[in-house]
Amino acid sequence: VIAATCVALAVVPLILLRGATLLRCYAAQLTLALFAWILWRRLLPAPDAKLAFVTLAALELTVFALFLANGRHVRWSATRAAIVAAIVYALVIGATAWKVDGDEPYYLLITESMLRDADLDLANQYRARDTASGRTDLAPFLDDPKGASGEQYSRHSPFLSMLMAPGYTFGGLHGALAVIAICGALLVRSTIRWMEDEGVPDDSARAVFPFFAFAPPVLFYATRMWPEVPAAFLFVEALRGVRAHRMQRWAPAVAALVLLKLRFGLVALGLIVAGLRARRSRMIALIALAIPLVIMFVVSIHSWRELVPAHPMSYARGLGGLLADGMAGIAFQAPFYLCGLAALVRWRETPNGFRIGIFASLLYIFYLLPRQESFSNYAPPLRYLVFLMPVLALGAAWLWPRIPRGAIAVAAAWTIGLAIHGIVYPWRLFHEANGENAVGEWLSRLYASDFSRLFPSFIRVNHAAWVGAGVVVVLVIWFGVRRPQPPLSGKAAAAAAALQIAVFSLAIAIAFHYGREPGGRVEFEDAHVARDGGHVEPKPYTINRAFYRGGWVLEAGQSATFLARSGTHHLQAITGLGALIEIAGHTYRVEPSLAHRTIRVTIAQDGPVTLRVVSGAVNLDRMDLQ
Amino acid sequence: VTQIRWLVTAIIAATACQLAVHHATPIDRALPFIAVIVTAIAARSYPSLMMGVPLLIAAEIAIPDERTRLLGFGVVVAAVFAIALHPSSAFGTFSPRGGEKATQSHPSPLRRGEKVPQADEGSLSLAIAAILLLRWIPFSEVRLGRELFLLAIGALIVLVLERTPFAVAIAVLTVLVTPAIPMRTLLLPIAVLLVAILAKLFGMPKVRLALPSTIAVAFVLLFFAWSGVVARAFPYFLQRAKPDFVRTMVAALPANESLTLEVPPGAKSLVVSGANVAKMPRGTPLGRVDSHVIRIGDAADWGYLRREHFYGTRNPLPRDPAGRLRDYGYAAWVDGAGRVPLPPRARVIRITADAGLPSGASLQVEGFE
Repeated sequence: VIAATCVALAVVPLILLRGATLLRCYAAQLTLALFAWILWRRLLPAPDAKLAFVTLAALELTVFALFLANGRHVRWSATRAAIVAAIVYALVIGATAWKVDGDEPYYLLITESMLRDADLDLANQYRARDTASGRTDLAPFLDDPKGASGEQYSRHSPFLSMLMAPGYTFGGLHGALAVIAICGALLVRSTIRWMEDEGVPDDSARAVFPFFAFAPPVLFYATRMWPEVPAAFLFVEALRGVRAHRMQRWAPAVAALVLLKLRFGLVALGLIVAGLRARRSRMIALIALAIPLVIMFVVSIHSWRELVPAHPMSYARGLGGLLADGMAGIAFQAPFYLCGLAALVRWRETPNGFRIGIFASLLYIFYLLPRQESFSNYAPPLRYLVFLMPVLALGAAWLWPRIPRGAIAVAAAWTIGLAIHGIVYPWRLFHEANGENAVGEWLSRLYASDFSRLFPSFIRVNHAAWVGAGVVVVLVIWFGVRRPQPPLSGKAAAAAAALQIAVFSLAIAIAFHYGREPGGRVEFEDAHVARDGGHVEPKPYTINRAFYRGGWVLEAGQSATFLARSGTHHLQAITGLGALIEIAGHTYRVEPSLAHRTIRVTIAQDGPVTLRVVSGAVNLDRMDLQ
Repeated sequence: VTQIRWLVTAIIAATACQLAVHHATPIDRALPFIAVIVTAIAARSYPSLMMGVPLLIAAEIAIPDERTRLLGFGVVVAAVFAIALHPSSAFGTFSPRGGEKATQSHPSPLRRGEKVPQADEGSLSLAIAAILLLRWIPFSEVRLGRELFLLAIGALIVLVLERTPFAVAIAVLTVLVTPAIPMRTLLLPIAVLLVAILAKLFGMPKVRLALPSTIAVAFVLLFFAWSGVVARAFPYFLQRAKPDFVRTMVAALPANESLTLEVPPGAKSLVVSGANVAKMPRGTPLGRVDSHVIRIGDAADWGYLRREHFYGTRNPLPRDPAGRLRDYGYAAWVDGAGRVPLPPRARVIRITADAGLPSGASLQVEGFE
């Protein structure tokens, strides 16, 4: 992978850059490599080699992206962009293919069943435990469909597995992943072509291209076995077909979209209603859509009851989660797409394609919002919105001249960090929905203080959640309403951009300062609590774990230490046998009960506090300052 | 209004850094000062370079290990200076000859509202900023008069050499290597300035050498947290770093004295240094390990790289330096210990100080590694 990356970094500029721009790009890349070598020799202890190399490769790619965006001698085309994307995806697959998780092994199992047994019955596959993913712990879900003769089918649609079959035949796991990467490259090509069709200037498309192709979520879904990237490609093709009135383009794309996942039927429906003007075309399309939709509905585990609208608050929570959740929201996991959302503010001026894309997605989003898995699914972040990313990228490219430069710099730095983190630690893309995120957990451990409370969580709604959602909405509106900077207003614009970054720095510093202070709430299963034994409840990887009330179970002699503020707190705990606990020099009795009990505890002064279980066992949920 | 905005930006950046500082080294404590310098550079080149400030804060927060953190600061600062000093098409800028120009068909920097720096604009401020970073930390060690004088000389060199990246590199490196203790060392930058003036008088063309100059300035700024060592022994930073080991002074051997030591299992080299040997040139014998002669070059005077002792020393940096990095900024130095390979399979060695060592000088045996 290292050798391939070095070759790729040399080849990629050749594909898109020419003349002086190419030479300058190479000079900058070589200088960066020289300094990386000097630095590598001086770092003690030597850093993780994979982290160091991926960081260098990501920075080299960033240098290339800067030259691509600003260089004069650029040979820009959608196909060239797709080739570059394919090269990058191939490298990422090489670095992360060993980590197959979430739904991926099941899709692969279906492919293997198709190729080996020519059926969709996975019973023998589950028994044999012989799959290219290397997973020996696969088992059917309780509600997976079963056949009359005991056949064990998967809940997942077989269409993606069918797509991966040729790749799997030639290259096993890597071949299957290559099929998805090809879909990713096709998605990049279609999206760039779509931008051209919609009149987005080349320089905006070139600037947006790396944010779209080499950043989350597309980067991670183009290199893993999920239906999201093929769906995004089909969605863009359908949109382009509708815009060009070419039925032979949109009709197969819509049919295939529905075959990938039943939920995309809502998108297809929206697209037909929003995009097709002629009544006759609409009728033909609806009839054509009905066939795959009915087939998919019959074989799926979904029920029509899922279409009944939910409580209004669950929509607000879902929207907040998608926008601002620290673990899975757009603001933290793909901040660049806030620029795409900002295009909504100037709805009437946006390209037609953008408006149709958003309209087509509304029904889908309406049913997505109340489902908590929309932002707390066991998958790389933003899974349910990947198909929409090309539309948001179009919006961002259209809005590009208006987007504040400081915001772009911040989003770029954060995005580079996300990409490096996801490639080096691919297992962290699958974050347990526990109300924390990777940064919060890491800082909490480093400083033994609750930093997670600073990140909005809609999984376990905290004080930062609604504040964070509000800030994101304000930012989106601000990006949208800003006037484009007139040419040659350089000095004022430069000062404004710098001021934005300085304010962002101040926000980080204040958050850091505040994060080291004790918080008003202590969640005992969180990373900042230092525990001497015990275990978390419910167990990690429990299905729909976020629906349960989590806690840390301590038994006699075990303890937990954490930062707490002075005053009276309400400790929420549950025990079946009864327990005696000691905290801050006081002893309390927790009576056995079937529900959580609230115990008033007093802490004399701010600082580290140890809670020790004297006898019995107790599940500690949280402690709130009154 | 723009100037006030930049002033406010600098104040906010410094405040943010002040809030984030929680480590005790002079470099950490100087973070607000560094933030102001980064802001000044962003004001003179690209506003996006302000990203240096949140990155400095991120390094302060996220890297607990001191050496790694200070190197992290160095990476940020070096990148900021390199980008500002060597504008390239990556940031939409343009060299005056044969370079790339913004055109109406490729208007990205202007269209984006970003300021487009002219070639060599801001070179003077860059040089001054680099000198401040390299010489003014720790503040307690600053001799104000001499430092102001050096700043002035550095600025004059940049002006005489026509504000090119080469001029910045010459000015920064000249001022950096001037210890300013004793006072007469200030003649060095004056001499460089005179040579530059004479060269210009005799028709020296404008030399840009943008890439090599940028690399040179970026290299010294990468290690600005130990700029004193860069100034007095820069090859130290080209060597692979080795972990510090616990050393106990075994003995200081005056002329002709010897010592017999058992070699601990696994030991590969003996760490030695000299005392009061700073005036000895390379190759002068210090002693022997069995039959192997230890010379100046294998080891050096223990404190020869201290700023106040450096003038007049004739010791070079040991070939395999084992000295520990001490202090910070321009006050940083490395002790003169060096590694001497042990005879193969030796269990016992005899170390003898050279008979020619002057009175008061000694060979110091610091331990095995």
